[in-house]
Amino acid sequence: MTQSHVKARDGKVDPRDRSERKLKPQPTRAVLKRLVAPFASLKLTVTLLTFSMLLVFFGTMAQIDDGIWTVVDKYFWSVWVWVPGHLSVKFAQIFFSVPPTYQIDPAWGFPLPGGYTLGWLLFVNLIAAHMVRFKFSWKRTGIVLIHSGLILLLVGEFITRKYAVEGSMTIEEGNSSNYVIDQRSVELAIIDGSASELDLVTSIPQQLLRKGESVRNPLLPFDVTVREFYPNSSVTEPDDWNTSKANLATAGDGRRVKASPNAVVAGTEVNAKADLPSAYVSLIGKKGEELGTYLVSVWLSELSNRTEQTVSVDGKPYRFTMRFKRTYKPYTISLKDFRHDVYLGTDTPKNYQSDVRLVDSETGVDREASIKMNEPLRHRGETFYQSSFLPGDRGTVLQVVRNPGWLIPYLSCGLVSAGMLFHFCFHLFGFLRRRAVS
Amino acid sequence: MKSFTNRFGPWILALALVLVLTLVNRPRYTSTSTMDLNGFGRLPVVDRGRMKPIDTLARNSLMVISGGRTTYKDSEDKPQPAIRWLLDTMTSRLLKNERADENKVFRIDNDQVLSLLKLPRREGLKYSLKEIAPEIEELAKEAEHARVQEPAKRDIYQAKLLELAEHLQLSIKIATLEIPLLIPPKNAESTQWTTLIEAAQRAVATEKSGGEPDDDPVVREVITLLRSYTEGDANAFNESLKKYGALVSSSIPPEDLRRASFETVFNDLQPFYSGMYFYAFAFLLTCLGWVMSSRPLGVFLNRTAFSLVTFSLIIHTIALISRMYIQGRPPVTNLYSSAVFIGWGCVALGLVIERITGMGVGNAVAAVTGGFSLIVANFLASGGDTLEMMQAVLDTNFWLATHVTCVTLGYTATFVAGFLGIGYIVWGMATPTMTRVRGKSLNKVIYGVICFATLLSFVGTVLGGIWADQSWGRFWGWDPKENGAILIVLWNALILHARWGGLVKDRGIAVLAVGGNIVTAWSYFGTNQLGVGLHAYGFNNTLATSLAIFWTSQLAIIGIGLLPLNFWWSVRAEQSRDAASPKTPPPTRVPNSLKKGGRRINPLPSEG
Repeated sequence: MTQSHVKARDGKVDPRDRSERKLKPQPTRAVLKRLVAPFASLKLTVTLLTFSMLLVFFGTMAQIDDGIWTVVDKYFWSVWVWVPGHLSVKFAQIFFSVPPTYQIDPAWGFPLPGGYTLGWLLFVNLIAAHMVRFKFSWKRTGIVLIHSGLILLLVGEFITRKYAVEGSMTIEEGNSSNYVIDQRSVELAIIDGSASELDLVTSIPQQLLRKGESVRNPLLPFDVTVREFYPNSSVTEPDDWNTSKANLATAGDGRRVKASPNAVVAGTEVNAKADLPSAYVSLIGKKGEELGTYLVSVWLSELSNRTEQTVSVDGKPYRFTMRFKRTYKPYTISLKDFRHDVYLGTDTPKNYQSDVRLVDSETGVDREASIKMNEPLRHRGETFYQSSFLPGDRGTVLQVVRNPGWLIPYLSCGLVSAGMLFHFCFHLFGFLRRRAVS
Repeated sequence: MKSFTNRFGPWILALALVLVLTLVNRPRYTSTSTMDLNGFGRLPVVDRGRMKPIDTLARNSLMVISGGRTTYKDSEDKPQPAIRWLLDTMTSRLLKNERADENKVFRIDNDQVLSLLKLPRREGLKYSLKEIAPEIEELAKEAEHARVQEPAKRDIYQAKLLELAEHLQLSIKIATLEIPLLIPPKNAESTQWTTLIEAAQRAVATEKSGGEPDDDPVVREVITLLRSYTEGDANAFNESLKKYGALVSSSIPPEDLRRASFETVFNDLQPFYSGMYFYAFAFLLTCLGWVMSSRPLGVFLNRTAFSLVTFSLIIHTIALISRMYIQGRPPVTNLYSSAVFIGWGCVALGLVIERITGMGVGNAVAAVTGGFSLIVANFLASGGDTLEMMQAVLDTNFWLATHVTCVTLGYTATFVAGFLGIGYIVWGMATPTMTRVRGKSLNKVIYGVICFATLLSFVGTVLGGIWADQSWGRFWGWDPKENGAILIVLWNALILHARWGGLVKDRGIAVLAVGGNIVTAWSYFGTNQLGVGLHAYGFNNTLATSLAIFWTSQLAIIGIGLLPLNFWWSVRAEQSRDAASPKTPPPTRVPNSLKKGGRRINPLPSEG
């Protein structure tokens, strides 16, 4: 009885599978399918997945040399990438005891398709496959769910990449702040403090601060020529000022201290820190008069309590400084208390916590909150995370993120998990049922 | 009677093996003293932020110093428990106990370091403080040289020197009673533990400042206890221990005391250490079962192996739960616990596979992966306390329970698929017993496990992203660890798509599954080595070298798996069977009648 029942089921399933392959659609659809078919191939999928793995692997190895953001741009958000050969040598040196002195020609390497290319090709491959091969049936539901979840994940990454804004807010205990800084870029801010109530700030973004570049703009009281720009640097007080020749600076702080370039911070470094740029800029008045060459650096602004440098143009003083890029907010956060608890008898941190008060003049919000690790504060589409703290626990550093796509990964994870569970359970139960019947 | 033997024989034999192995593994000490050292070991102290029994402190510190041992040899070369070393060391300065200097506890395995100290290379490589002392000035000088050297430029000699210096320092800290926080808070509400020295100083200070002579009974009792230990007065020691125990239990919540004494029992049983032997024996039995697979004894042995793995899994499970109870956390909290947990998952999955297929392959995978993961875990344990406190960002049971558990199970399934792949290749290549049907059926299992691995590693990875979004607002950052996780997902997805696209058949799946071992090992250990490996070149590269060896072995297996099919013994055997009975065409679909007997290891009458 059971046996014949199963046969009947088998009898139903098998011919349908075959008829799917023999399907004779209308001519236009057939042509379309023939065109799309090569893009729908599973061989292409496997090839693309292989390249993706290579890209991810070398994108990891590259973080030995470069900062994580540089690598992300070069490898994962690019059309193609040139992978230097010495990365493979490094791999062999770490794991296969190749002597650290072994070097290869720096020109050697090989190209790989970048994240953009692979992402789009996988996307096309997936859509084509669904157009050509897949017909809706219960059996296919899982696969469709999984793949729509994956597409959603890619879309989410795209939205994050394009629209997410990250910054950080540093507040000392008892003080407050209404701006967010972006540690990944700097700006040269020129401040006109002549108005009594508000400062007028004009700032030059990092993209324009390139060696040899001149910035001319009617909003600025003077032109700025960049003599040197170091993406990462250190500022020291040299013992022997063997000066005039070596020192570019002719005025201001640069006559006392000296900046020298450093390698940018690598992604695999254990305690990766931010890059600390410096620059030597020449200021030239609108009538062409030399106002001097100055050293500007985040070392002088963010990392010490030094005030801005000042230059006079036509008797009117302007302050200027290089600082991390600032974005001003319509709300103020004040830090009431910062807590840094450790486990008894150790330095192992147990808890970081910022007790803050948030005042938003536009929405009338005035509330108190505690921000802890894994417990962020959300306000007006922005999220505040406990990120770091000032030396001596004097204050807190909050990470401030606005990401319109933050919910997408949650949805995607749900879709893909549901799809996989459905698909694998469908097959597992089929398998077990066949076993049980036999 | 016969059916009784068949049914329960394997279980009884396995149980007997467990008991014998446990007894054999228990360290024996020849001690004539009646001092209640175990009772002392149960006393709670605080070290590295965690309240633990003093026995745990003794074992972990000795492990660090002596390179993974919880026993040592005293001046007369008799084995002694860690707690005795700790007591000797604690009394060495305070009460001038000279035994401490003669305990052979410092492991020195570098020839250059040995020759600097003018010491002979001897079996076990353990040396006492007394032996090191004559050249200690020289050692300090050389170690100082090494310390100022940039970490990346240190050679192995310098790294080993610094290691020894650190171990000496740890021993000195215990000798000067800086470690542990021994004196409990005055009442149950306070959490302020102090060292013995601080407590004594406090007492003296109060007395000097004209206050009441601080009659701190706890301090007094500890000193009496240590003195009677030094003098070897067992009665006084036990008496004083009783009084001290009563004092301590009045100032600590009873729950903490229960936990501490439970941990001592856990330490004493060493379930993860004995586990290695259980799994090794189970593997031996499985292999014997294969060799004799055509006889009833073979079946019996295979079933005994199954029973033994089942018992080991029960013990493994209890041990995992015990750790969770002691720590009050989900199972995976650091690298050590992930190894233990991966082993547990592999064994459980292996048993399920054995129940489904019954070919001994499930047993083998369970035994090999279980044993292997415990070896890795024991290696990692020599770094110190394996129940360490969680850094602030990790202090969340929700994410530890979901993301970490899920992703670890993903690693587990990928490893199981990989080892099944090795099983497939070895079985098919080196034996004539893998028929088409059996090969197919094993391959279905590999495929199923890969599906499972894809699900878990994907969900685990995305949950990790969501955790990252919750804790610093960035779902995906392309950092080395995240990239490692995504590689596993990609690799599993690649295998599945290759199978669906018909690019690979049974053998291809098995070979690709072995590749999964390489990818997972990279994500699990390799990515950690990038930062560490660069900053401490040549320092602790045991892990890097082991990884290289593992990868090479996996590549070799893949190479063997790719040999043309005429090299496969099982394929040739099949062909000759086909030639012998040309009338029966090779079955294209598995007849149900053959599947049914899958649990048997002996060939069925219908085959052959």
